[in-house]
Amino acid sequence: MAQDKPRIILRTAGLANPRALKTYIEHAEGYTAIKKVLGGAMTREQLIEEVKASGLRGRGGAGFPTGLKWTFVPQSDTGPKYLICNNDESEPGTFKDREICTVNPHQVIEGMVLAAFAIRASKGYIYTRWEFQAEIGYLVEAIKEAYAAGFLGKNILGSGFDFDLDHYTGAGAYICGEETGLISSLEGKKGQPKVKPPFPAVSGYLGRPTIVNNTETLANVPWIVNHGAKEFRQYGTEKSPGSKLFSISGALVRPGVYEVPLGYPFERLIQEECGGYLPGRSLQALIPGGASAPLLTPEEVQGLTLDYEAMAARNTMLGSGAIMIIDDRQVLAELLKVTIEFFAHESCGQCTPCREGTGWLNNIMDGVLDGTAKPGNVELMRTVAKHMGGKTICALSDACAMPVTSYVQKFSGSLQAYLAQATAAGGHVK
Amino acid sequence: MSEASKGSQETVTFTLNDREITVPKGTTVMAAARQQDVYIPHFCWHPGLKIAGVCRFCLVKVDNRPKLEIACNLTATPGMKVSSVLPEVKEAHKWALEFHLVNHPLDCPICDQAGECKLQDYYMEVGKYKSEMDRPKVLKPKALEIGSELVLDTERCILCDRCVRFEEEVTKTGALGIFNRGDRAVIGTYPDKKIEHNYQDNLVDICPVGAFTSRDFRFKQRVWFLKEKPAVCPGCSTGCHVDVHAKPQVRTYFRLKPRESEVNGFWMCDKGRKTYKHMNQEQRLRFPLLTEASGVRRRSTVDEALAALAATMLKADKSEVALLVSAAYTCEEYAAFFEFFVRSLGVTNVYQWREPTEDREAFDGLLYRGDHNPNTRGLSEALKAVGLPGEVKDGFEALLRQAPKLVIALGPELAFQFPSLPAQLSRLEQLPFVSLWTIDGAAVSHVGLKHLLPMKGYAEKRGRFLNFAGKVGELADPFPAGSEDARDVVEVVAALSEILAHSL
Amino acid sequence: MAGVVKVALPPRDTNMFQMAYGYTSTILTGMMKTFGIFWVQITGKEKSATYEWPEQPATYSDRFKGKHFLTRRDDGQVRCTACFLCATACPAECIHIVAGQHPTNEIEKFPVRFEIDILRCVFCGFCEEACPVDAIRLGPEYAMSGLAGDKWIYTKDYLADRGELHGGITSVKVENEKHFTTDHNPHGDALIATDAPHMRHH
Repeated sequence: MAQDKPRIILRTAGLANPRALKTYIEHAEGYTAIKKVLGGAMTREQLIEEVKASGLRGRGGAGFPTGLKWTFVPQSDTGPKYLICNNDESEPGTFKDREICTVNPHQVIEGMVLAAFAIRASKGYIYTRWEFQAEIGYLVEAIKEAYAAGFLGKNILGSGFDFDLDHYTGAGAYICGEETGLISSLEGKKGQPKVKPPFPAVSGYLGRPTIVNNTETLANVPWIVNHGAKEFRQYGTEKSPGSKLFSISGALVRPGVYEVPLGYPFERLIQEECGGYLPGRSLQALIPGGASAPLLTPEEVQGLTLDYEAMAARNTMLGSGAIMIIDDRQVLAELLKVTIEFFAHESCGQCTPCREGTGWLNNIMDGVLDGTAKPGNVELMRTVAKHMGGKTICALSDACAMPVTSYVQKFSGSLQAYLAQATAAGGHVK
Repeated sequence: MSEASKGSQETVTFTLNDREITVPKGTTVMAAARQQDVYIPHFCWHPGLKIAGVCRFCLVKVDNRPKLEIACNLTATPGMKVSSVLPEVKEAHKWALEFHLVNHPLDCPICDQAGECKLQDYYMEVGKYKSEMDRPKVLKPKALEIGSELVLDTERCILCDRCVRFEEEVTKTGALGIFNRGDRAVIGTYPDKKIEHNYQDNLVDICPVGAFTSRDFRFKQRVWFLKEKPAVCPGCSTGCHVDVHAKPQVRTYFRLKPRESEVNGFWMCDKGRKTYKHMNQEQRLRFPLLTEASGVRRRSTVDEALAALAATMLKADKSEVALLVSAAYTCEEYAAFFEFFVRSLGVTNVYQWREPTEDREAFDGLLYRGDHNPNTRGLSEALKAVGLPGEVKDGFEALLRQAPKLVIALGPELAFQFPSLPAQLSRLEQLPFVSLWTIDGAAVSHVGLKHLLPMKGYAEKRGRFLNFAGKVGELADPFPAGSEDARDVVEVVAALSEILAHSL
Repeated sequence: MAGVVKVALPPRDTNMFQMAYGYTSTILTGMMKTFGIFWVQITGKEKSATYEWPEQPATYSDRFKGKHFLTRRDDGQVRCTACFLCATACPAECIHIVAGQHPTNEIEKFPVRFEIDILRCVFCGFCEEACPVDAIRLGPEYAMSGLAGDKWIYTKDYLADRGELHGGITSVKVENEKHFTTDHNPHGDALIATDAPHMRHH
């Protein structure tokens, strides 16, 4: 397990003009990967095999093997195919893709050209959430530069491969980070996820085979092509190879985005990269992978390493790598309310368990905060959450249910105490 | 239906609730279950619309998969084992229903859907009888007039999306959408727009709850008091298969609903929905009216009226008699009528009674046709069967030119489909003696018509219609007539022939 | 034998005097009983079970089912939402309702006509039980007499508004409507008001 810090993604960080094409080419092996592949040194099949062998897993949260996903596109279908970069980073606590757009957008573009070549896509879109106004500007600029330099468009580098890339801006909905929700939005419709089957790889954007990959996932591809799967596997663990960007926030001396190998010890990340907790603060709970990840108690955090398996073993998830330190000064009831309110607000409303369940949980939390809820309602939240999971078109329902379950399971004392206080303070008890 | 007969199609055999079923390849489990009369509870699926998969209610257990799947989007694969009755599935159904009821208003006492509401039905069937929701519910706009035939209550809506899909796929008008997200989502039209087509009441039919209700039917009756009987709509030559809903004890008809068939699929048009009013007491001709020789008009019994008609017939020569026949009657009635008048009595002056402004070839692309008669084909066949031409051009004008002494007229059943009818009746009043057999009560105001005989409505008699394509529409299960004196043509002809036989 | 009661029977071959004695003695015994009670009551030594009605009011149980009345909301409108449950439950089919659209959207549905054919009614109380909103109750009025030509159909105005109701009875408002409470009584306590003034006897 290589512990030294990989520089796979944020390779132009710290340099002057980090986003410029010139910087990317001079300091980060810019566009050499596509020269290699389109020049013929690597065939399409070899490219897919290399990515599969590297064990690269989707960095958006689901963690699905990327190379395998690419093979789902039916190659016998000779019509148009699409590659979409999911830059709708909306999971609360996550800000790593924004960092990539701010520091090294060209690596994403190069990754997209490679991925498009692998699946024979002729058109690509980068779908960025509307709130990232500055980052959208950076991406559009980078796309322009890439076109001007001949790395996008028709007959790229004389190879005969055409790939057009456009940027598309979302309209401010978390649900458009779900791949079929994104596709619906891209088609100009309400951003509502579609029923699966059929899966996007077979029938996605406009009914055509479509692959949706996360920004960070695509940014890994050029490095893998240039350095090979074996070197990629030098970082990380057996089952979670490579590096990951973690966006870590909370009562730390140096919160921010850090690129560390998967499997990195959590405590080390806190103490070394982040400089430890702010004076006088200590850990009350840890949210390891975005608001939808079940939270961990300080006991469970002991010996935690940042990889998919260690998280799964603690019944939580690595997710998008958004680590949120909940220190002792935070009020858990208020934190839970904010979390639930987010999901209730963002639920698209198609599926009944999610629409009504998130609303109901939000309703109960309102009652906890103003003291009008009954004492049994805290436990009721766990029952509601249990039945919200596993039955919906997309995972937003589970994303709301899982943290609620963990809060009630691990911190019900704190929630009940809050309710009792609020009730005594002035809400009427039913 | 037709799938079973396609022997050349590939089939798939799977197990549903321990029963082996064979279906054509590509059939979903939900469609297969429907064919086999196995009921998997659902809201958003409809056999006439595309799959939505949003209600998450039709969950079933498949093989050993850890998660339950929805049956409506599950294609049957060979050897699959599906169960909709395992305890795990029933528990899932209970909570699926609980989520649907969480914000649903307690409107049952004031909601027209009570008695045919899927939420009520599933509540009784599936449980979960003790709701655990005790927080204030989300409130939304109610009782909105969203179309000429519709009332929308967005609070009752369970967002099954059927209405939106209907607007997109069937009428292709796309007038409805879902606005807002999450539990604030509401069904609605765009600002200041209303639904304006001829198929609005189908939205009421497909809505599983009382979100869309019919303005025409609003608050008139509770559905558990209604009896329904199958019939064929007499509104136009399409002849949609329908169910007529009435409360026979008070001799009142309340509404029509479409019946699934090859002719009309799952739908019918709004014009056809109105074809029950003319059979209700206020609108129909309830008893015979005779004008005596003295000029006094009085109510009579049926026997008296028939005797009077027979007497007039005996005094007239067959060349002075004309038959004016509208295309609203059954094939059996035409057969009896022409057998008697044309074959037995030798009358040859037969005219078709048609609306002069009609555009018979008109078709709105879905169901409604410009020929506003249910049995034009049947009439034409009946005429040919007795050696008369299938149609005489401008029948009504031709009749007036002939100026017959005695006219026996089978009047149109639906006055609202015949805008020229009052004018035509006024012109008929000029003739010496017209015996009008009709159900239309408005005919009473034409005092020059000397002989009015009340007819049964289409829902009150047995018979067959032939639609525009010659397909048979069966009237097989009639309601008792709304008026004691009402008869159908077969009965009248039988009585007349008896009277005449005795007097000859 | 023990438990055998001797009954005075005329012996088979009794003479006239013995028969006379037998008959008169039993008659006198009975009359003594009657006069005894008469004496006791007329001197006031024992209370009669008879009510001196109508000077003394008759007491009926709180649950007595007499003449129906329709309750009102706080704002004076009838509580009834014309749901037809009473008409459906009625075994005598004596309730006839015509529903209508209320001018205000808050109420939405109300009975334009609400009639009970009181001669058909069997006073079973099913209508009161069936009503989900406490709109109809059977009250304590038991005196329902009239002549052949009188109106025996009680209309909505009579049921909600007659003089004996003293301006109308308000139904108990149901706060925070729920599908079901977790109490044993499916209506909760809120709907059954046993201390409403009209529930007491005349």
